[in-house]
Amino acid sequence: MAILIDENTRVLVQGITGNVGSFQAQIMRDYGTKIVAGVTPGKGGRKVHGIPIYDLVEEAVQEHQVDAVISFVPARFAKDAAIEVLSSGIRFLVLTAEGIPDHDVLIVLRYAAIKGATVLGPDTPGLISPGKCKLGVHPHTMFMEGRVGIVSKSGSLSYEVGRVLTKNGIGQSTVVGIGGGPIWGLSQEAVLQMFEEDPETEIIVLLGEVGGKLEHDAAAFIEEHMNKPVIALIVGHTAPKGAQMGHAGAIIEGEEGTAASKITSLERVGAIIAKSSLDIPELIKKKGI
Amino acid sequence: MRLLEFQAIRLLAEKGIFVPKGVLVTSPKDLQKVSLPTVLKAQVPVGGRGKAGGIRRVEQAEEASSVVNELFDSTIMGHPVQALLAEDPVEVSRELYVAYLIDKQANMPLLMASSAGGIDIEEVAKKTPERIIKKYIDPVVGAQDYAIRSLAKALEIEDVRAFVSLIRKICTIFQELDATLLEINPLAITSNELMALDAKILLDDKAAYRHQELFSELESEQKYLDRRHKSRAEELSEKRQINYVPLGGNIGMIADGAGTGMLTLDMIHDAGGKPANFCEMGGMANAEIMQRTMEVVLADDLVKVLIISLIGGLTRMDEMAEGIVRYVKDNDQSVPIVIRMCGTNADAGIPMLREAGLDAYEDLATAVQTAVQQAKDL
Repeated sequence: MAILIDENTRVLVQGITGNVGSFQAQIMRDYGTKIVAGVTPGKGGRKVHGIPIYDLVEEAVQEHQVDAVISFVPARFAKDAAIEVLSSGIRFLVLTAEGIPDHDVLIVLRYAAIKGATVLGPDTPGLISPGKCKLGVHPHTMFMEGRVGIVSKSGSLSYEVGRVLTKNGIGQSTVVGIGGGPIWGLSQEAVLQMFEEDPETEIIVLLGEVGGKLEHDAAAFIEEHMNKPVIALIVGHTAPKGAQMGHAGAIIEGEEGTAASKITSLERVGAIIAKSSLDIPELIKKKGI
Repeated sequence: MRLLEFQAIRLLAEKGIFVPKGVLVTSPKDLQKVSLPTVLKAQVPVGGRGKAGGIRRVEQAEEASSVVNELFDSTIMGHPVQALLAEDPVEVSRELYVAYLIDKQANMPLLMASSAGGIDIEEVAKKTPERIIKKYIDPVVGAQDYAIRSLAKALEIEDVRAFVSLIRKICTIFQELDATLLEINPLAITSNELMALDAKILLDDKAAYRHQELFSELESEQKYLDRRHKSRAEELSEKRQINYVPLGGNIGMIADGAGTGMLTLDMIHDAGGKPANFCEMGGMANAEIMQRTMEVVLADDLVKVLIISLIGGLTRMDEMAEGIVRYVKDNDQSVPIVIRMCGTNADAGIPMLREAGLDAYEDLATAVQTAVQQAKDL
């Protein structure tokens, strides 16, 4: 099962001839992702790693059934490319670009809502259902198939935790990065809900950071809607107030943005708190998984 | 980018919004250009400066000159005062609050207004949220007049036409300049017009390429006025647009992801070490950026050990290794470097490091312990 993607998902890669797009498309295909087509304006008719390329998404969808798109289109052109995907009726779009202007993101997300489509990102590594499908840039050797669902604001932190789990023989159902930017599409709560409903996921690892109130919202959601156990790791204990720690939102501005207040919130609703990535395997084993 | 008040006010005036007559004072001798009485406002990029003594009304010349000197000698919430905006006092009959911003919960632009203008709006939001009126604006459709008329009605505005015209201008500026926040507080109703008495504008740095001229003008003004002491590493990081946060310890840190960067700092701290900085290169880092980032972090003389925490997803470890090796070859430096490397193309990257006499650990905890131990031994 996994969530959002599985071994049957047919994928189109947008921006497939660029450095990153071409490199990552090959890795995804080698992993087993069913990549049916690629799109780059002006490059139609050629092939990359044996994958047929089209100038336009509308041409690709005439020839292929497409369930999901991963876009490697650079930030400046990302809005146009995203609207192109959504207009063609494709219902799931992964936006990897970092640095898309907020106004462009707003329009893409609003248009996706109008079209009934889901956007993951922007500024996301994408997602991976180990052993089934990789729609993203994850270093896949760090992941293995299993029953732990991971949702993370940070891409790199989800790799780190995946690596620690895999080393300890604990596999994952799906690993989702919601995106490091100030605004993003698919919400953390929506991912938690999917894990709650997914029969293959038994426990969820929530990876958060300082700044904003995302983990407070997660706590409220866990209290209302979740029965499966949740383990949470919040990084940035040592971050000073007022400094931006990489991500747009990772700035401690009020008390609610501190790691301590987020931990209190999550503990109150019964989430298990990990002090470091290294503690997570033990905490999962304690739950008998 | 957060605009200073005088920049925001000037922008509003250029777009036809009424603002008080004012003069920018950058040294006490600029006082000659100021007509009295006047309101002197410290130009610092922080809220709550009024309470901190950063806004002073003066009546006479002698008083003006002593207050100006006093303000120029002061630091308001960590910002030394380098400029004042001197504005003609305005007769106000009512003060409103208006703002147009991106609401990150709803992923929608939000038009907000309140009749409780002139005071801390966050306090109002906390204590009397019903006094803030909100209208979400569909970004695909844009702000229509009916939404603004609805706000005017709730605020009991008499001159609806003037209010609609003003809010339309705000919406246009917000849209055209890629603002993420445009706030006027207070918006004064005077005997004959609506006037912006203070404004806060945030522009989206990610959209700077669409407004290059404006951004570089605003930036150079801010740079000229900002006399905070900055270290060599900070100066260099600004120039190279690298996310760098000094933390005062002796273990320099570079990461290729924000999450693992923060985790590395937490682990350094837990192992008894003291991080010198936080520094994240972002997902699009290549060999060039790696090399430039090392130059920034190692410009800090307090750094005794450098830990480079890499977990390649989008970043390729062969490229990172190339950048590290290039830095080491180009620079005669003695700071020990501890590298954590795994992920995309690490199989190619690690041998490149070894060949250059550098060692790499696959495990983060081991790398952190090694770095902390080395810092202690020095």
